[in-house]
Amino acid sequence: MKQFKQFINSFLLIELLKGMKVTFANMFRKKITVQYPEEKTPQSPRFRGLHALRTYPNGEERCIACKLCEAVCPAAAITIEAGPREDDGTRRTTKYEIDLFKCIFCGFCEESCPVDSIVETRVFDYHFEERGLHIMTKDMLLEMGRIHEDQIAADREADAKYR
Amino acid sequence: MTDFNYDQTLHLKNLLSPDAIAEIDGWIKKYPPERKRPPIIAALKVVQEHNGNYLTEELMQAVAEYLDVPHIAVYEVATFYSMFHLNEVGKHVISVCNNISCSLRGADKVIEHLQNRLNIKVGETTDDGVYTIKTVECMAACGGAPMLEVDKVYHENLTEEKIDQILSDIAAVELNSKEMSNVEAKD
Amino acid sequence: MGKVHIEIDGQKLEAEVGSMIIEVADKADIYIPRFCYHKKLSVAANCRMCMVDVANLPKAVPACATPVAEGMVIDTRSQKAINAQKAVMEFLLINHPLDCPVCDQGGECELQDLSVGYGDDVSRFTEGKRVVKDKDIGPLIATDMTRCIHCTRCVRFGQEIVGIREFGATGRGEHMEIGTYIEETVESEVSANIIDLCPVGALTAKPSQFKARAWELRQAPSIAAHDCLGSNIFVHHRRGEIIRVVPRENESINEVWLSDRDRFSYQGLTEGARLLNPRIKRNGEWEDCDWQTALNLVASEMKRIIGASNGNDFGILMGNNATTEESYLAQRMLRKAGSNNIDFRTRRRDYTGDGRGSVRSGMNFPMENLDTMDATLLIGADLRHEQPLTALRVRKSTGYGKAMAINPFDGEYNFRLSNELQPKSNMLAQEFACVLAAADALRPESLNAEAKEWLDGIEFNDEHKEIAQNLIDGEASCILMGVYVQEHPQAETINWLAETLASVTDSDWGYMTQGCNAAGNKIAGAVPCQSAAGGKSEQGKTAKEMLTEGLKGYMLVNCEPDVESIWAEQALQNLKDAEFVVALTSFADGRVPDYANVMLPIAGCYETSGTYINVEGKWQSFAAAVKAPGEARPGWKVLRVLANLLDLSGFEYESSLQVINELREKFDAVGDVRVARKVPPPMMVVNEQETNRECLGLYMVDPLVRRAGALQKTPKASTHPISISRVKTR
Repeated sequence: MKQFKQFINSFLLIELLKGMKVTFANMFRKKITVQYPEEKTPQSPRFRGLHALRTYPNGEERCIACKLCEAVCPAAAITIEAGPREDDGTRRTTKYEIDLFKCIFCGFCEESCPVDSIVETRVFDYHFEERGLHIMTKDMLLEMGRIHEDQIAADREADAKYR
Repeated sequence: MTDFNYDQTLHLKNLLSPDAIAEIDGWIKKYPPERKRPPIIAALKVVQEHNGNYLTEELMQAVAEYLDVPHIAVYEVATFYSMFHLNEVGKHVISVCNNISCSLRGADKVIEHLQNRLNIKVGETTDDGVYTIKTVECMAACGGAPMLEVDKVYHENLTEEKIDQILSDIAAVELNSKEMSNVEAKD
Repeated sequence: MGKVHIEIDGQKLEAEVGSMIIEVADKADIYIPRFCYHKKLSVAANCRMCMVDVANLPKAVPACATPVAEGMVIDTRSQKAINAQKAVMEFLLINHPLDCPVCDQGGECELQDLSVGYGDDVSRFTEGKRVVKDKDIGPLIATDMTRCIHCTRCVRFGQEIVGIREFGATGRGEHMEIGTYIEETVESEVSANIIDLCPVGALTAKPSQFKARAWELRQAPSIAAHDCLGSNIFVHHRRGEIIRVVPRENESINEVWLSDRDRFSYQGLTEGARLLNPRIKRNGEWEDCDWQTALNLVASEMKRIIGASNGNDFGILMGNNATTEESYLAQRMLRKAGSNNIDFRTRRRDYTGDGRGSVRSGMNFPMENLDTMDATLLIGADLRHEQPLTALRVRKSTGYGKAMAINPFDGEYNFRLSNELQPKSNMLAQEFACVLAAADALRPESLNAEAKEWLDGIEFNDEHKEIAQNLIDGEASCILMGVYVQEHPQAETINWLAETLASVTDSDWGYMTQGCNAAGNKIAGAVPCQSAAGGKSEQGKTAKEMLTEGLKGYMLVNCEPDVESIWAEQALQNLKDAEFVVALTSFADGRVPDYANVMLPIAGCYETSGTYINVEGKWQSFAAAVKAPGEARPGWKVLRVLANLLDLSGFEYESSLQVINELREKFDAVGDVRVARKVPPPMMVVNEQETNRECLGLYMVDPLVRRAGALQKTPKASTHPISISRVKTR
């Protein structure tokens, strides 16, 4: 009986038709394939991509060199050196570097920051063409902050009520 | 402490009259010689009286050198007690207590009323140099709060009418003395 | 003192009558939170953080101001105690800013630590916090007075420990502020201790401001290298850079304090232009080279000059920071190579005492005893500027004892002198002799005939007599000579007078020495008159002879005679005229490049291992805290290799420990041999010109300090403490 059923199924290509049913069904369904890089998948406001150092609207950098991010970083990817700034003597970093080879994008630095200075942006697609470029310097990080400030601010705003 | 480079022209003896120096010396004698700090209050009081009711840096330093105590010790005393004035003040200093008892009984209103009447803020002196308003710490008259002191007289249980009365009394005294001096000038 | 029995947190303890609860608890390792209490300062009881619960008392009481009583039962962790402590913490935090992320004290802050334990997470205080203007109190201490919690430790430190009251609390109530008199700069030479005392971030170190966080620092124990006390320190460093130096508690040397000089000198290591490679001068131009080339050149030149002159025309001068190992290797190398011209005393005029006295130089009694002297006589000692921490000890003794001084200058003292004599600088020995004559008159039986004859005809007055009487009356008394005496043309006479006076009056005696390792250098044999551990040696040339008469070849080990020596000008000329000068130095600036032919980079302080022997004879070894920059190598290694290149045998050391152990063995075998001093020749009046020159300034003593930027900006740096104008010449 079992053998007979099997014979009928294979003779009438039932299995094939079942498979084709899925195929045809999907053919007319809305497509979910994303045409990367022209198109991108949606991201959460909590997305943890490339880092940036934010500035205040008046252009003053937020970072106060408290070094909490350096201390909390589980991968020891952050290196900071600090000192009084030349012109006004305020506490500032003289060097702020993130080694992207070491970074595991855990977001602890962002959480530890008392002034919302170091943040992780939505940028995740990047590459290096030369050795050494994997180290993000303070200038690069500040530039990232300037370019993405609107997005960063909007993301913090969206997530504010959960923090 | 003795400053080796201390400018002798700023010596207290060159800044005050011999009578005043004698008065300070009298106070110094009341304490054992190795106790140098007790006469500071008395000395500052004398100096203030002789300097138009306020102290200057120069004078405080001179007192410190004269009594052989650190400069800071004199400065501490002068800043602690509200009866010492570190800036030029008016003829009548109105000291209003704003500590807890007086505050609860409306010291703020007293101060506001005074400010409105005299048209100056706390710590300021009127243009004619007659009044100064100062807020001070508790003067141990909490039973009669709110209170103020002017010309060494306590005025307690203040109301707006009472304050107006005090001010007009002072004004009368002022007017009187002005007339007297005018009369004297005419003579 | 009687004993009482008390119980703290269930622990039964025995305590001395009159001690405070907090002292007893500290001894038993029971921690009571505190801000204003400090074991070295008086009790102020103004922070109220140390509230504890004492049975049968209605309210919690401050542990720092409550004396123990028989049968007292104390609970430091009861609900009552904790409620009181929490309430106090809430009050303290009302006005304390929430700026821990930018505060240098963050991570090592007593307030921060305790607020984790006792503070609430949310403040109930919604009014504005008070703000206090910062004061500029000089280049060493950064202030942020808004953070101040008015514990008054800094005020009490000035008043009680230093004796110079620079800080005070002005204003009253909410307007109270800690500050100096109308923004005066803090001038004291031990001022920076208030940085350690401050329990919050109100007073922090300016030179290391914002440089590092407490948790990044690594700590290495070391020994301070700028005065003869050998203060114990911790060097805090991060990624090979020294961030700061803090005191390491040692009750018998520096207690818990540190002088500003020892604390901030480390700056010189980075602020001076460091020599990173061996350099050879060719045709007047400096060229970097490798160690091999440089050392070969030095070895061949040394061989040539020593060989040609039978050892007479080559000499080694050791600097003030030289370690005992360096001195030992240098003298051993030189003596084996055939010369005895080695010295470290570039500021000594009188060498007649060489070979006499003890092997080591310094004090013959423990420094701790200075605290409890009934009578202290200072001869030519400007303690505040030479050994700042000893001045604190002498000050302690003046609470009940007497301090007297025979100083040929207007000294600055932070204690009261019962007697003060100010002879002219060339009459110091004469004046001192009068005291001995007075003592002899008071105790006629104690001097021998020879000494009596020497004293014959010296007259004394009542003041001299009083000084002698004080020394005799004091149960513990001492005579302390300063660096000025050691530079005096009659140093040996004064030393003899002190030793004799000490024996007549039953006192202790000793002398303070220049630099940090005079005792070590002498034991190591870096003197022309004796080899290691007091061993015999043919008399070589002294520093004075080397610098004033000139040699063909010099080796300078961390020494800049053109600044340090009293014959600076002559020295500079002779060094320029010399055929060959090799400088083992850490720095490439200064005038060394003008006269040296070869410069060898050696590790500076905290970069080399070594041993300093302090003025009391304590051997204190230390390891390197950080690595020397560039090609610089520890001085002992350079000297060892150089000895190898000179084909000398017995230089196979592999560590500085081997070197010091060898010396230690030699020293222990003979001990601190004392050769009696000779009665000096009859007193001669020396020329005034010979004496009244400047002493080395507080911040001028060695190459490192001279390059420490913050110290050089202090008011004390601009004036030589004893300069021509201050020395009595009338």
